[in-house]
Amino acid sequence: MPHSFTVNDRRVEVEAPDMTPLLSVLRGPLGLTGAKPGCGEGRCGACTVLVDGRPAASCLTPLALAEGREVRTVEGLAEPDGPLNPLQDALLEHGGVQCGACTPGILMALTALFERDATPDEAAVKESLAGNICRCTGYHKIVEAALAVAGANGGRS
Amino acid sequence: MTRVVGTNARRADGEDKVRGTAVYGMDHGVTGTLQARLLRSPVPAGRIRRLDTARAAALPGVHAIITAADVPDTTSGWILKDQPMFAREEVRYIGEPIAAVAAETTEQAEDAVAAIELEIDPLEPLADMDAALADGARLIHPNWESYPMLAPGPRSGNVAWESTLDRGDVDAAFAAAHLVVEDEFTTQRQHQSPIEPHAAVGRFEGGRYVVHSPAQFPFLVRDRLAEWLGVPASKVRVVVTTIGGGFGGKIDAMLEPFVCVLARKTGRPVRLVNTRAEELQTAGPRENARIRIRTAVSAEGEILGQEADTIADNGAYSGEIVACAAVPGLVFGGTYRVPVARYRTRVVYTNTAPTAAFRGVNGPYAMFALEQHLDHIAAKLGIDRRELRLRNVVKAGESIANGQVLDDAVFDKGFARVEEIAPWAEQAPSGNPRALRGKGIGAVTWLTNPGPGGATVKINEDGTAGVICAGAEIGTGAVAVGLRQIVAEELGLTPDQVVILPADTDAGTYDGGAQGSRTLFSLGNAAVQASTQVREQLLAVAANLLEASAADLELADGHVRVKGSPGAQVPLAAVALTALHTAGPISATGRHITPPVQFDSGCLTGALFTGFATPTYHVHSAEVEVDPDTGKVTILRYVVAQDVGRAINPQQVEGQIHGGVLQGVGYALYEDLRVADGVTLDASLESYRLPTAFEAPPIDIALLDNPWPDGPYGAKGAGEPSLIPVAAVIASAVSDAIGKPIRNLPITPFDVLAALREDGTTEGSTR
Repeated sequence: MPHSFTVNDRRVEVEAPDMTPLLSVLRGPLGLTGAKPGCGEGRCGACTVLVDGRPAASCLTPLALAEGREVRTVEGLAEPDGPLNPLQDALLEHGGVQCGACTPGILMALTALFERDATPDEAAVKESLAGNICRCTGYHKIVEAALAVAGANGGRS
Repeated sequence: MTRVVGTNARRADGEDKVRGTAVYGMDHGVTGTLQARLLRSPVPAGRIRRLDTARAAALPGVHAIITAADVPDTTSGWILKDQPMFAREEVRYIGEPIAAVAAETTEQAEDAVAAIELEIDPLEPLADMDAALADGARLIHPNWESYPMLAPGPRSGNVAWESTLDRGDVDAAFAAAHLVVEDEFTTQRQHQSPIEPHAAVGRFEGGRYVVHSPAQFPFLVRDRLAEWLGVPASKVRVVVTTIGGGFGGKIDAMLEPFVCVLARKTGRPVRLVNTRAEELQTAGPRENARIRIRTAVSAEGEILGQEADTIADNGAYSGEIVACAAVPGLVFGGTYRVPVARYRTRVVYTNTAPTAAFRGVNGPYAMFALEQHLDHIAAKLGIDRRELRLRNVVKAGESIANGQVLDDAVFDKGFARVEEIAPWAEQAPSGNPRALRGKGIGAVTWLTNPGPGGATVKINEDGTAGVICAGAEIGTGAVAVGLRQIVAEELGLTPDQVVILPADTDAGTYDGGAQGSRTLFSLGNAAVQASTQVREQLLAVAANLLEASAADLELADGHVRVKGSPGAQVPLAAVALTALHTAGPISATGRHITPPVQFDSGCLTGALFTGFATPTYHVHSAEVEVDPDTGKVTILRYVVAQDVGRAINPQQVEGQIHGGVLQGVGYALYEDLRVADGVTLDASLESYRLPTAFEAPPIDIALLDNPWPDGPYGAKGAGEPSLIPVAAVIASAVSDAIGKPIRNLPITPFDVLAALREDGTTEGSTR
């Protein structure tokens, strides 16, 4: 089945069965390996992408459900040769990245949060990360980074 | 004063990681790569009666199928070499590899695996340690005596390894005691569960095996491959990808041998990645254990003598648990004064998936047992639990159970800092008036793994520095930022001006692996040594350019300059270029090994680790509340006082502590890789529960400044130890809250409720 949608604002056409996981299409024919196949069962959140602005576990999202939608991945957060966006920069500034395998999913979950609420509090930040496992950092520095961005946006940090 | 060391410089691999462009083992791609899958044993014990791959090999897309018949009849292992690459005649655990398929697609490889004809005559599995230790039990390895060993150790039948520590007249101490207290504890398997599963891509080129994998200890993987494949180590090259987490689970070889042999057979690159179910069910977790401990004390709570018997589950084959078999004894007798001791640890074969290293190998359950045992002693004697610890904890210059003297112990400082942050007599605020409240505190000595390392430092012709080493960047930042800071500090550069080649066994000198908190300690020392020689070379060349004596020169801001003469300087680029025509390219190699620990060598048997090399000291405290209606444990406050020698990058050290504590919280409260009848029941992250952001407790950190004279800029290891005390102090706190002992991990709400209902009392304990 042909499927047509956008990935990081670029129009794509993919020929694959309806139930093909979106993650496989991103990482295979589309060559975007930022989203990680951490568990393949929707538990770890490392494959999180945005579908029409909402976080989705791409390993459990059938390709057919991407039809006509806007898909965004970690690779689309900043121009490849441009500066990091504020969330990416804050994660590094605050030491919120260790092995980094969860980082793409964390960034997409936080991106969805900040597009809804530019000044989230700690509870909202943690809520937004409910579906993302980080095994390295203990989350503190990730939350700290997000709150720093919220502070820069005028929120109470 | 240092300029770069001690700052929170950013990690070199950070941008790629936040942009999603870092290439992990699971991302590594080569044109024309075939996909592999494994046929694994469906039973925990049995003899292979028939294995026929002919029909599977004829399926579409299949390029090769290999079994034990295609590889040398050898066994391999780090210390005890008992593991075949494929099960040959006998299978010993569910998930043991029996055949490997390479096909055009993963689906075709899976179809072929399903089509392999396999018949096994099952044997009654020895599913737990009691069964394996029973008199007359079947031998899991009938040929156990024939296995080669890296170092000899006491073994016997289903006891894969035994380690003992025996020092002084223990029986006399018990005979003279005011009180003898005895306890038994059991702990569960805990899975490392990095986000990235094990993955490997193999090629065969130039008559050599080349494998790309997220290996923590690439030289061990190289040596294991050489043993299994029957080739010299020089015929194997291990190139380390970005590592998506390891925590000990990626120290040993796992999938690498299969892609190597399949690549040779097919002439194509071959890729193999574990599913999450394979990770949980076959990639070795922290071992389950049972500890019996008995202590003789005086009326004042002084420990007079102690004995402990530990059994640790090896699973079907040996990994790091054997190497660390002496560790429980060192933990029992390494923190509080134990004048005479008798400890024994047996590592026991079972028909279960092999267990393996997990951060703080063999340590967390030993400390959990010891600290609950101390609480029991405190209750019996009516002594405050913290006070009991203060009376017994070792002071600087005192010796521990193996006879090692801890010259720089800082437990007094550690307890004092914890007291300043969270006074023992005060309570943190709580929103639940019905909650039961409790506190726990404990201390532990830990080590910096003494394995060797080396680093080459060179000055590039643009004035930057290059570092070649085989240190694997596991995510801690030890290589990606710490090592850069040290080299930058040494050579008057910024961290951005130091480029480090990713680990590759063809390039770097031997390295003892990203394990045991050693990477920055060992490679930092090697890099300082190399940098010292590089500096001498630079100064010698620059002395001619500046017409000055080398003794009057210094490195700063990317220049060699004359001390006290601001204008008289020459850029490193010019010095490096000049050197090409005069002294030769600027380059030097440093190497490092930690000297052996001084201990009473007669007291230990079967010990690969004989003491605490480059010891570090840790005091943790936890305050919890327990909901008496649901059994839920909430950590209100957690405090870590940690000796890291000196922090090269305080932010990264804090990150290690945050992460280690949360892994410890998982071990204490949530994570339980259940095994029954040889079956690992947890096959997904739905039932194997990892801590989320909601479970991360507030953590206060006090870094104890205790520079180590033989560490780079005073640093000691900092990676592992924050995990080790967590279950111990949380269990103490829960026990304090509910007024009942905690003897098993993890502490689930069901366990808490059951304990509360035992006899209806819910009073606090001895505090």
